[in-house]
Amino acid sequence: MTAPAKRIAPSSAAADAPMYDEMFQTDGSVRPAYAALNAHISKLSQAELGDRQTTLERSFLLQGITFTVYGADSATERIIPTDLFPRIIDAKTWSHIERGLSQRLQAMNMFLADIYGPQNVIKDGIVPRELILGAPSYRREMMDLYVPHAAYANVCGTDLVRNETGEVMVLEDNLRVPSGVSYMLANRDASKRTFPDAFGAARVRPIENYPDLLLATLKSMASEWRATPQVIVLTPGVYNSAYYEHAYLARLMGVPLVEGRDLVVHDNMVYMRTTLGLRRVDVIYRRVDDDFIDPLTFRRDSALGVAGLFNAYRSGSVVIVNAPGTGVADDKAVYAYVPDFIKYYLGEDAILPNVETYLCREPAALQHTLANLEKLVVKAVGASGGYGMLIGPHATAAQRADFADRLKADPANYIAQPTLKLSTAPCLIDGRIEPRHVDLRPFILSGAKTIVTPGALTRVALTRGSLVVNSSQGGGSKDRWVLSDTPGDETPGAEQPA
Amino acid sequence: MMLARVADSLYWIGRYIERAEHFCRLSDVLLNAAVDRTDSARQAAHIALSAVGDEDVDPQIAIERPAEMVRALVFDRQNTSSVVTSLARARENARQVRDQITTESWERLNLLYLRITGPQAEHLFDQSPAAFLHDIIADLHLFKGASDATMSHGEGWRFLLTGVYLERAQLIARLLDVCFGDAAGGYLLNDHFAQLSVLRMACALEPYLRVYTAELQPRLLMQFLLFDEEFPRSIRFCTARVHEHLTRASRYADMFEGSGGPERLAGRLSARLEFAAFDEVAQMGASAYLATIVQECARIHEAVYDAFVAYPLERRLPA
Repeated sequence: MTAPAKRIAPSSAAADAPMYDEMFQTDGSVRPAYAALNAHISKLSQAELGDRQTTLERSFLLQGITFTVYGADSATERIIPTDLFPRIIDAKTWSHIERGLSQRLQAMNMFLADIYGPQNVIKDGIVPRELILGAPSYRREMMDLYVPHAAYANVCGTDLVRNETGEVMVLEDNLRVPSGVSYMLANRDASKRTFPDAFGAARVRPIENYPDLLLATLKSMASEWRATPQVIVLTPGVYNSAYYEHAYLARLMGVPLVEGRDLVVHDNMVYMRTTLGLRRVDVIYRRVDDDFIDPLTFRRDSALGVAGLFNAYRSGSVVIVNAPGTGVADDKAVYAYVPDFIKYYLGEDAILPNVETYLCREPAALQHTLANLEKLVVKAVGASGGYGMLIGPHATAAQRADFADRLKADPANYIAQPTLKLSTAPCLIDGRIEPRHVDLRPFILSGAKTIVTPGALTRVALTRGSLVVNSSQGGGSKDRWVLSDTPGDETPGAEQPA
Repeated sequence: MMLARVADSLYWIGRYIERAEHFCRLSDVLLNAAVDRTDSARQAAHIALSAVGDEDVDPQIAIERPAEMVRALVFDRQNTSSVVTSLARARENARQVRDQITTESWERLNLLYLRITGPQAEHLFDQSPAAFLHDIIADLHLFKGASDATMSHGEGWRFLLTGVYLERAQLIARLLDVCFGDAAGGYLLNDHFAQLSVLRMACALEPYLRVYTAELQPRLLMQFLLFDEEFPRSIRFCTARVHEHLTRASRYADMFEGSGGPERLAGRLSARLEFAAFDEVAQMGASAYLATIVQECARIHEAVYDAFVAYPLERRLPA
């Protein structure tokens, strides 16, 4: 018999710098939120844990929860690496996060309504004019356009991290076409099967109604004159890496999964081609980027979109979710101003702080960045997916020198942030339990009302010591349990604001 | 009412899984025939090879190296009608309409695809080709059963089955043409072993025996596969189902102006087979008779496209 796998070492004991561990307190004892899971895991041998991991992976493969990797002469499908241990958050911390996310999205929607309307935030000098109007994701075409409930970003995924003191901070906003919610749901399904006893004992809040909530949000965006609005999901197609998610959401909402070639626009109305002729469409939950939705308005070479869609949208006969042009609010440079405009629009301090950010467009910030490259993370403003960035402490001198040249050439295109010590959570790596860095992406819905789903996609940097959680670069995911009423563990930053 | 593209995909899933199943069965009979190195075995091999479109291959080679032949029929991705190609295409179509088929059906098809493309597949095949083919056929039955038991018997399911039965009618017609048509050179299939093999290729042995007993006769065999009312692989049965499914799928649509329309064509073919007399086949000649059936099936296929999938938009714009 193999030894029980109960020696899960607190990560701070092994690491050279102190980090916040999701499961262990600094004295090595288990946080209360993890008590039920720990009690259960301690009874299992390493072999049993390995078996459960194998079962989990097979179930993902069978369900087709895969992404496609295109090689030289063939395409193979892989599952997103998934870790079987859930990450657990207690009720008190979560209610703090929940309020922070609602506040943030509310302010961001007010910001979008403002910059595509009166532009007071610019006139009052809160945000520089050229930063907004010059952003590639700013869509002039959206000016003065009516958006129901002034809800521009209806589906939002915000990336949160914990720093070394355990404080929850916002790393990034995703207001364009955030993905990952299907993994959140699939991971939940898997972790319930993997640890049924612990799941029951821990009193985890359910997330299975996400498709209902999403559908209700989408319907709330339709014109009140349409008695039974036709909602569709628009996908770029089966070759898109997030196709599984598009099909999953369409299936669980019970609405058609449509490609651009299925749609036609006639007299500013959008129709889909059905077996019984053309049927009018009211709400399009599009999973296609702004650039590609309408070749007449945006990129002319796009084959994924629908000619005339944007004009139909302007005429008010159809709703596009998220609205085109929301990307300007999740721009990495605009990010630095979010706390300012939360204050400006709501008169409140941001509940969830930003990570300290240096805008290299400002000379002083550029000087600071160049002088401290070995300590900072530098990101290109327009890039995403973990590309176009320099992680100073992990880079070679040559890479840093190269980046310094790029910074001097085009400072406005870069921001810098201190290298965060992301919190760690235990993961099963090659049959052993080891701490790995994690972040989390909760999903927020906003239509007639705003709803924060009590769960999140938790992404894991599976490579030891790595801070990059993107699935394109060796990242994986795990489930996240939000508990309903565990007595709070003492988490700094979780205090209620006065 | 469903997306035209989705109806198209479901229809093709039906066609591809039926084709895969038929090819597995022909391969199985080919392997079985090769065990006996007799003239009748050679005839059976020739029939199987002709039915898969490899009539140029010398049956002697198939008899001597059956596993090699069958391996190509199953695993060759260059061959557009190999089992792996059909299953990959069926699954690719299923992925495109993943929101329209139930998880239970999808998992069957996905598992089948993963098994035949997996790293172990050819190894398992080499260990026992017959067992391997048997498992694929059984899994295809599970897929059909899961679809039947879990999908709503609405429009989408009917397009799936239209594909299955239209493909099956054409495959059986092709098999009969190989056995009784002009290309068979007036050869009468009077060999007992060859007749048994043909019945196996059509999965018809046991049902045939229950009707006509073990007295195998070419005429009865052909009559059974063409006109039997209850056997699910007779052409008459298939065309009756095609008619039924198309009628139900289009019951909301008053869209077929004029004489066209897939349900009218399907009804006509079905009625023709329902009220046919075997003498007509003899008078026309088997080849000519079977050719009209294959042509009618092709016209139904085109009519399905014109009516449901690739219709001209200006005729369907809202008034």
